[in-house]
Amino acid sequence: MGLAAAGVRAHTGGGRGSFLTRYVLRRLLLAVPTLLGIVVLVFLLVHLAPGSPVTARGAEGGRRVSARAAEEMKRLYGLDRPLPERFGAWISRVARFDLGESFVDRRPVSTRIKEALPYTALLNGTALLLALALAIPLGVAAGGRPEGPFDRGSGAVLFALYSLPSFWAALLLQTLFAVKLRWLPLYGVASDSYGGAPGLGDRLAHMVLPVTCLTYGTLAFVARLVRSGVAEAREADYVLAARSRGLSRRQALWRHALPNAMLPVITLLGLLLPALLSGSVIVERIFAWPGLGRLYFDSILARDYPVILGLSLLGAVATLLATLAADIVLALADPRVKDGMLQ
Amino acid sequence: MNRAGRLGLALALAGTLSCRAREMARVPAPTPPPAPPPAALGYLDEQTGATPVFGGTVRRRLVADPATLNPILQSAVAEAQVIGLLSRNLLDYDRTLRLVPGLAESWQVSSDGREFLFRLRAEAVWEDGTPVTPTDAVFTIRTAASPEAGAPIFGPLFEGLESVQAAGPRAFKVRFREPYAYREMAFVMPLLPEHLYRGKNLARAPQNRRPLSNGPYTLESWKAQQSLVLVRNERYWGPRPPFDRVTFQVVPENATAYAMLLRGELDETGIDAGTLARTNTDPDFGACCRAIEGYTLDWSYIALNNRSPFFADARVRRAATMLLDRGAIVRGLFRGRARVISGPFAPESPAYDANVPPLPHDPASAARLLGEAGWSDDDGDGLRSKEGRDFAIEILVPSGNEIGRQIVETLAAGLGAGGIRAAVRSLEWNAFLEKLDSGDYEAAALGSSAADANPDPYFLWHSSQWPPAGLNNCFSKNAEVDGLIDAARRELDEGKRLALLHRVHALLNADAPAIFVANTTQKHAFRRTVRGLVTSPLGLFGTWPGPAGWWASPQPASAPTPAAGGGAS
Repeated sequence: MGLAAAGVRAHTGGGRGSFLTRYVLRRLLLAVPTLLGIVVLVFLLVHLAPGSPVTARGAEGGRRVSARAAEEMKRLYGLDRPLPERFGAWISRVARFDLGESFVDRRPVSTRIKEALPYTALLNGTALLLALALAIPLGVAAGGRPEGPFDRGSGAVLFALYSLPSFWAALLLQTLFAVKLRWLPLYGVASDSYGGAPGLGDRLAHMVLPVTCLTYGTLAFVARLVRSGVAEAREADYVLAARSRGLSRRQALWRHALPNAMLPVITLLGLLLPALLSGSVIVERIFAWPGLGRLYFDSILARDYPVILGLSLLGAVATLLATLAADIVLALADPRVKDGMLQ
Repeated sequence: MNRAGRLGLALALAGTLSCRAREMARVPAPTPPPAPPPAALGYLDEQTGATPVFGGTVRRRLVADPATLNPILQSAVAEAQVIGLLSRNLLDYDRTLRLVPGLAESWQVSSDGREFLFRLRAEAVWEDGTPVTPTDAVFTIRTAASPEAGAPIFGPLFEGLESVQAAGPRAFKVRFREPYAYREMAFVMPLLPEHLYRGKNLARAPQNRRPLSNGPYTLESWKAQQSLVLVRNERYWGPRPPFDRVTFQVVPENATAYAMLLRGELDETGIDAGTLARTNTDPDFGACCRAIEGYTLDWSYIALNNRSPFFADARVRRAATMLLDRGAIVRGLFRGRARVISGPFAPESPAYDANVPPLPHDPASAARLLGEAGWSDDDGDGLRSKEGRDFAIEILVPSGNEIGRQIVETLAAGLGAGGIRAAVRSLEWNAFLEKLDSGDYEAAALGSSAADANPDPYFLWHSSQWPPAGLNNCFSKNAEVDGLIDAARRELDEGKRLALLHRVHALLNADAPAIFVANTTQKHAFRRTVRGLVTSPLGLFGTWPGPAGWWASPQPASAPTPAAGGGAS
């Protein structure tokens, strides 16, 4: 799918390197208006949503502020100025790499993001790697013998996993492993250890349940994707040819069928990677994990415009970069694309 | 939570102000208690006469990370929970809701009720050793009153400030433009250390995340979105608090907090009605923990838009009240732990007139009233109409408010039986509020929560308080009610003032600008080792010393404590 967008037209002259450079440059240039569009849209959505940081203050206990106090606070936040002026001010700050300060605690938005980012990246990065590491062998095994007992069995389980809501799984896992069996910690990043830093084992133990919740859905999806790719490729001429050259079934599947089956997975990765930054609201809430998902969710409820905009911008940039990266990897991985470039 | 719920609905101050306090008498005990909570209700007092055990750590829960620990800028419950242990107030509530000395050892009120003279304790010091002075108090009150500060709770309390100045080395004087009967409650207020905040931007001062304590504990560490650790303040000038250390874990999810409590990773957490019901049957809970429940000053109501064509007529509003089976709600939804109310106060408040009976659940009378008001089912389709308009309305409820949603579902069913079609619509809080403030609604579930004792009905029911000026979302207007409220606010004699408020109560019951539903409870769960709990109509946190008086007992509370607050009688 990235190919059409990439405009893989015949570029005559120049080597593959210069084509890639130009290709990347063009994609980056195209990304600018896209980004601007996203930013304008988010800015409008955020500001046109009902309420304001002032009304949101009372959400917790159904409490309210008086009209006069509300007016003062609006003036304090600069919300009394017209929307275009606010947008202009925000954009010019962003151009200077300044995301402004949070309405809630008046700290820089970048500080709040920096605080939460490592936690989300750690959790989601681990989950993504784990999902891939498990999904690929599962997919190959299932796709190697389509409609075989393993394919049918794993298919049923994976579909069940895919449709399992993560909040339910999270509560179930907590009850079983943390409350009943007490094998694993219930929540948080590390145990209280006043005075000393928590050990690596403790940190890993805290990751097990949230990572599990974040992994199984992706795992199921990617495994089925690999499975269908492999199932299709195993009938292909090049795999038959490889078999006839004397390669074992396993070798033919892993060396010849799998690389072809991975092409759609690479595209998909471009869409999964930004999740490293967006975090998961539900899982982070249930496991009291201080990540970006929770920050985003709380900021939306609090109508903390600068933080919402900062995180949206981050997400948009990450998505654009990741799709670009995926397209480049795809171009390098797919001999047809490579040939297309050179001719 | 001294301050926690005190904001909005009851913007002003709190407490019951005595008539005697006004006669320039020296007041450490100014206020006769408002009828003390009847013993039958079983408010808990594990502190009086008990010997605390010193030492150890109490592990508490916060639902959210504090946005600030600046005592003047606080607005959320989580902030109040932490600040309550770091910053003493000028005055505090005791468990009978009397105002008692805090940082101020005594205070006097001028006979016109406009001027307050406070004397600070000589021994009160900040944790850096500097004394708490009138300079701090004057700076704090001026700051809170200035519009630039944007102090969400204290700004409105000092809107009528005329002047504030030091009056000697330990005293300061505060003067207001108008007398106001409930003014004194504004001084349940912590102070800022002037020597650290002077000349700084209030909102961005580094001290907001590194506060200077003048209370029993001091902040040791704060991991954003994770935890805060408080340790005993060695320089605290008051009695030593039993626990040496208080940790706060930020746990947004109720189910997680409950599991942590069972595992012994938390010593206390607030619980919702569903969890409370679960605690009765969960043997794991009974073995380690106890549930505490007590009536608060909170009450729920369903706002009716008095300007809408449906609810402009008091007969229709009364009929709507009579179509809601509030007794069934108390029995079913609240499992008996709530009390039907007949007016805009909690039964624990002296402003509540127990002689005003709630309108009965009486569909027959309601039908008659609706008929008299011209709403009848002429075409036999089961739906009342008037002048070609069907009686079909929407009832709004903020999303996430499960109890509120069930109450309005019950109302919708009741109205349906009375020939009124009502659909329930759930809206995100901000969207909900926008509808209410613009008057673009027919009925909506609301609640009044106050962590102070101020019953002033002005903010919700005076016709000058229609949005956007105030919080009268019912857009109710009753000249007699307005006059009585105005008089009560000026009346400095408590007995006369309560008489005025009782008449407001009776009038609002008859006029039914809203459907008054029920007074509710605060629900909390504790590990059995935690002792020294005190409950009152201000809950577990609204009185002094509150959590600063808890300790860990080697002999845990044995029998499950009968839920304080008892059953509905």
